[in-house]
Amino acid sequence: MGWDPVLKFGSTMKFRSRYPISFAAPALVLYGVFFILPSLGGIIYAFTDWSSYSDEVNFVGLKNFVKIFTPGEHYLGYFSNTFLFTIITIIIKTVVGLALALLLNEGVKKFVNLYRVMIYVPVVLPMLVVGLMFRSILNPATGLFNTFLRAIGLDVIAMSWLVDPHIALYSIMFVDSWKGVGYIMVILLAGLQTIPKDYYEAAKVDGANGWWRFWFITLPLLMPALSIVTVLNMLYGLRIFDIIYATTNGGPGYATEVLQTGIFKAFSQGQYGLGTALSSILFVILLIAGYGVIRLLEPKPVQQ
Amino acid sequence: MKKVFLKSFVAVAAITVAGLGASTAFADAKVTLTYQVDANWIKDGERQLAKKFEEQTGIAIDFQIVPADQYFNVLKTKLNTGEATDLFGGQSGVTDLTLNYNVEKNAVDLSNEPWAKQEDPIVAAQSTVKGKLYGLTYWDTLGYVWVVNYNKATFKKFGLEPPKTYAEFKALCQKLKDGGVQPLYEPVSDGWHHVLWFPELGPRYEQATPGLADKLNTNKEKFADDKTMLTDLTELKEMFDLGFFGKNALSDTFADRTKAMSDGKIAMFMAQSAFPQDLHKDYPNISPDDWGVFVMPLADNQLLNINPAGPTHFIYSGSKHVAEAKQYLDFLTKPENLQTYLDSEPQFFTLPFPGVKTKFSPELQAFMDAHKDARGVVYQTQINYVNAQWMDIGKDVTAMFTGTESPADVLTNVDKRRSDFAQAAKDPNWK
Repeated sequence: MGWDPVLKFGSTMKFRSRYPISFAAPALVLYGVFFILPSLGGIIYAFTDWSSYSDEVNFVGLKNFVKIFTPGEHYLGYFSNTFLFTIITIIIKTVVGLALALLLNEGVKKFVNLYRVMIYVPVVLPMLVVGLMFRSILNPATGLFNTFLRAIGLDVIAMSWLVDPHIALYSIMFVDSWKGVGYIMVILLAGLQTIPKDYYEAAKVDGANGWWRFWFITLPLLMPALSIVTVLNMLYGLRIFDIIYATTNGGPGYATEVLQTGIFKAFSQGQYGLGTALSSILFVILLIAGYGVIRLLEPKPVQQ
Repeated sequence: MKKVFLKSFVAVAAITVAGLGASTAFADAKVTLTYQVDANWIKDGERQLAKKFEEQTGIAIDFQIVPADQYFNVLKTKLNTGEATDLFGGQSGVTDLTLNYNVEKNAVDLSNEPWAKQEDPIVAAQSTVKGKLYGLTYWDTLGYVWVVNYNKATFKKFGLEPPKTYAEFKALCQKLKDGGVQPLYEPVSDGWHHVLWFPELGPRYEQATPGLADKLNTNKEKFADDKTMLTDLTELKEMFDLGFFGKNALSDTFADRTKAMSDGKIAMFMAQSAFPQDLHKDYPNISPDDWGVFVMPLADNQLLNINPAGPTHFIYSGSKHVAEAKQYLDFLTKPENLQTYLDSEPQFFTLPFPGVKTKFSPELQAFMDAHKDARGVVYQTQINYVNAQWMDIGKDVTAMFTGTESPADVLTNVDKRRSDFAQAAKDPNWK
């Protein structure tokens, strides 16, 4: 037996042994000083009345949090809008993104790359540009969309897309999904292309129809990609700000306000304590939701 | 060799000392006043006057212009670090003076300046804290009023006259609407314009409840308890519900105002008194004379709403050139210089000093004269913590339009935010 570098290396140094903590210390110190400490410091400010109107900063206990969770204030609506936005955009983007990915993976034979590029184009447009574009397209009186609907005789569904408080948030979800679906499609497409064709051929030989093949082969093997997509969409949805700022700025009234627009407004009004309290809550939600989803979707050990 | 070296050293030293002496003498002769100002507040007219001032006195003005969106951050930082310019620009208004600029600490008392007694008292009051005048408001704050501009031809066609009460206003709007003309253009989508219908009627609230402003500022009265304000908002909501603002008010924008008003399909627009001039600039075939004005008649208001707060010059208390800065302000307020400034600025009608030749159209002049004794100060300037929440009030009023809030809710929310601001500012009246 000749000299085996892997074996040699493996035998002289234990792979599973841990490096001494001193190796990681410099990085940990930097991370701690510049990331952990300021973050914790930020959370401490959530319990103060820090504002731009006074030089003093006083500890006020849970006052900011009580204000946020008081039903008479508008903040509870910000939470429900954020959650609604997140859940619905996850569903739309994943379902449509998966459908497009399947279509472009197998269904469409000609100009595949052209379609892929076309669907991806909205992703590279700046969000503010998309927002302004759709403000104009969805204008109830002069917008392209309603003009088109009227031209084909569908006046009934020509609505005040961004200014009717009952549908404004859904219109924004549509705009956001239009922009984001290409990104999701690309991830899922990459996932689909890692599934070996043999499985489908074997299933075909066994008599499985298209639906069964999708359900028993594609979906389970696509799970890692789907879980990444869900986590990304969720963290994105909970932190949504720019598209709302650019299309409705939280309006009409408070109909489309979300947590991030609330935080932005609190800070811009100089209510730093309140803004920090809101962002601390968002931080906790992100932490719990992100951890929960990763645990839920991570592949379970195969039981023998 | 040693001697030569010594001689040349002495010569160099002598030249250096002489040079230093000369430069000190030069610095003594020529003072440069630094003046930090918002880009929107500095007009060409003042730059020209500053040049003239330099020619006459040798005192130069160094304008340090800061973009509007950064202005307050830069100014506050400089004031807090003690590095402010000799003169600084600010917005007058008693709340701003104390909250934003802390003038009692940061600005020089100008009460005894020659021009102080000349300035229109309603304007000077906005730069006055505890009886001391701190700023010179060098702006047209009196001629620029928010009024209802109406298309005279349309009014004539429908046989209408400017209304005196809300009932008349409502009937007039209904008549226009029935005749296929949209009564008013109201750009709600910008979030600020539709708010004007509410705090601009301060004079009316004050007339209905004398002393209300003081009571509100000392926290002895709440917005939510005032019936006139409730009436104003209820009527505003009614106008929206009756479709007087058109179908697309929620998506209409202020930027489209001249386009919207250019074709006669809309009869009225609540805008600044210079709106017909704006319209004429964009649509030269429309003459400013084709337009008339009347005060906002909600809550039966017949008083003219003046917002006397405007861009104001302050002298920094830490300046080394307070005397020169005072000299500059004195120069700006000389009658001939006031006139030069007014004439050079197309957007100004008048200045808050007596004796200037105003530029009002005869009709607008008549309107201003008619309201000379029937005017008052708007509430965003007169009442603390209102201007700061302008966009929030906008959201509430929009929510009121769409039915998710009631007029009373809007007032309650104003009170809540005032209380928040006051507590943040450690206002003793809110303890």
